[in-house]
Amino acid sequence: MTDVTLTINGEERSASVPPETSLLRLLRDEFFLTGSKLGCDVGDCGACTVIVDGLPVNACLMLAGQVDGRDVVTIEGLATLEDLHPIQKAFEEFASLQCGFCGPGVIISAKGLLDRNPDPTKEEIKDALSGNLCRCTGYTKMIEAVQDAARILRGEKEAA
Amino acid sequence: MTDDVKVADKTDSLTDLKETDEDLRLPSVVEPAHFPVETIDTEARHQTPAVGQRATRPDGRLHGLGQTKYIDDITFPNMLFAKMKRAGISSALIKSVDTSEAEAMPGVAAVLTGREIPVNSYGPSYQDQPVLADERVFHAGDPVAAVAAVTEQIAEEACERIKVEYEPLEPVYDPVEAMKDEIRVHPPHSNIYATKRIKKGDLEKGFAEADRIFEGVYSTQMIEHVPLEPHASIAQWDPNGRVTLWSSLGRITLGRADIARTLDMPINKIRIVGTIVGGNFGGKNEITTEPALALLSRKTGRPVKMVYTREEEFIASTTRHPFIMEYKTGVTNDGMITARKVRLVLDGGAYCSWSETTLGKACILSAGPYNIENLLAEAYCMYTNKTMTGAMRGFGAPQVCFAYESQMDEIAHKLGIDPLELRMKNAFHEGSASPTGQVLQSVVVKDSLEKAAERFGWKEDGQ
Ligand code: FES
Ligand code: FES
Repeated sequence: MTDVTLTINGEERSASVPPETSLLRLLRDEFFLTGSKLGCDVGDCGACTVIVDGLPVNACLMLAGQVDGRDVVTIEGLATLEDLHPIQKAFEEFASLQCGFCGPGVIISAKGLLDRNPDPTKEEIKDALSGNLCRCTGYTKMIEAVQDAARILRGEKEAA
Repeated sequence: MTDDVKVADKTDSLTDLKETDEDLRLPSVVEPAHFPVETIDTEARHQTPAVGQRATRPDGRLHGLGQTKYIDDITFPNMLFAKMKRAGISSALIKSVDTSEAEAMPGVAAVLTGREIPVNSYGPSYQDQPVLADERVFHAGDPVAAVAAVTEQIAEEACERIKVEYEPLEPVYDPVEAMKDEIRVHPPHSNIYATKRIKKGDLEKGFAEADRIFEGVYSTQMIEHVPLEPHASIAQWDPNGRVTLWSSLGRITLGRADIARTLDMPINKIRIVGTIVGGNFGGKNEITTEPALALLSRKTGRPVKMVYTREEEFIASTTRHPFIMEYKTGVTNDGMITARKVRLVLDGGAYCSWSETTLGKACILSAGPYNIENLLAEAYCMYTNKTMTGAMRGFGAPQVCFAYESQMDEIAHKLGIDPLELRMKNAFHEGSASPTGQVLQSVVVKDSLEKAAERFGWKEDGQ
């Protein structure tokens, strides 16, 4: 068994898991944070995207043991008691998700981008979302939502 | 006195109930415990018609919060995980299945083989697909046994320890080859399991009236739906002999009948809970693992979950039919279609699934949205030893569209007519009759074409 202690959404959590456990399984099966989805388990779809030490990663490709002592942000860590995250709000407003299965991963990738680059070009948004597959909605509305959220985060637009 | 107490109790419990109900309607969350309840109020939610309005989805918020519960996000106490052993050989007789080593593994709760299934066949139109192959394998993705274990990993390992002895048979993969019936996928039945023929006018007369005749063969490939959420279900057999299934199945009523049939049980003993589906596109329109999971749950007395791997999505779920399409079209020098002959060969894979529907729709639409007085369309669907094909967005319509529009472009090019003009000359108008004689109303194909051409800047030279 591998012992891991990590920070998830600002809270310290610990678990003891078999060494082959991926970060995704750790989050879903040990901590019941099922927002990160398993779409392929091989790093192709991005449904499992979480932020580790500020960078978006595919949680299915990272071992639980590798995140020991690190900081993880999942989709569950974005909204507060008072408000949705501006990206979540924009995704709702722009109807950027249909079945929604890809949503948590896409939103996390977008957050990873906006945290580092508050004013991305359309190309940069496309690039940041290139690891996230969506089979229903397509990407146009997602890109619009990310642009809108970026405007709000930069303070150029009032939150709705 | 007693009555008064009762009334008071009732009022109390009603208030309680109401509160619980309200609670339930809030997003149920892991953490944090509550989310803002104010909703975005768009015009589209109030106004009809909604065309031109921005619409939001009522479930959009939970999707974005990661709080939507798909099957794999649901868990029950003592739940087991199932895996299936896949044949890995496309055509063979099954001589024996030895599950003893798998059953002896610590953590394995039950193993199930095809012979234990009361009625081992299912399918939405023909019941030609085994839940678990028992006597014969029809394609490499066929499951030959299922294991329920305390973890997915143990279940997978147990599958590897199941020994199956096969007598390989010669497979047939090419639908045109399969048409000859020299190698039969489901003997004694012919490989041609569905056909359709549509005839209109006088084909010979039509071709005689033509100045030019164009012939072409077009083909399309097999396509997997790739829903982002793989197929998933959970079965729970209760001590009263009823089974509840949580399933990503899109057509739960139809699936319920099919499950009842395979389990040889009255339909009222089967309850299906259709959950939010993470993408369907036609690929989740029939049952897959549900009967096997139900039986594994009966054997173990515990809930059993199974989620397809991405690989299983490709090898063991339905796909879009590959088509081979022969088109022969007669046209006058000024571009009027006088006759069209179409022959479609659909590669159905190992099982029928929704092939009949696909074949029908493809055949009806195969002439395109054009006024063609003299027409013959024939379509055949073939068994081959490949992953089965089924419903996928459009039920065969996209395949034939590729063929007839490709040919329209070729005709336009050869006749030196603008491709748009060729279509405008022949397209349906208000009151046109479809190949099956349906008189069409609200026909806007020409307006749509014109608008589209205008919007994307179509030029006369066909650039
Ligand atoms: S599940 Fe991790 S990339 Fe698909
Ligand atoms: S909304 Fe279904 S995959 Fe993106």
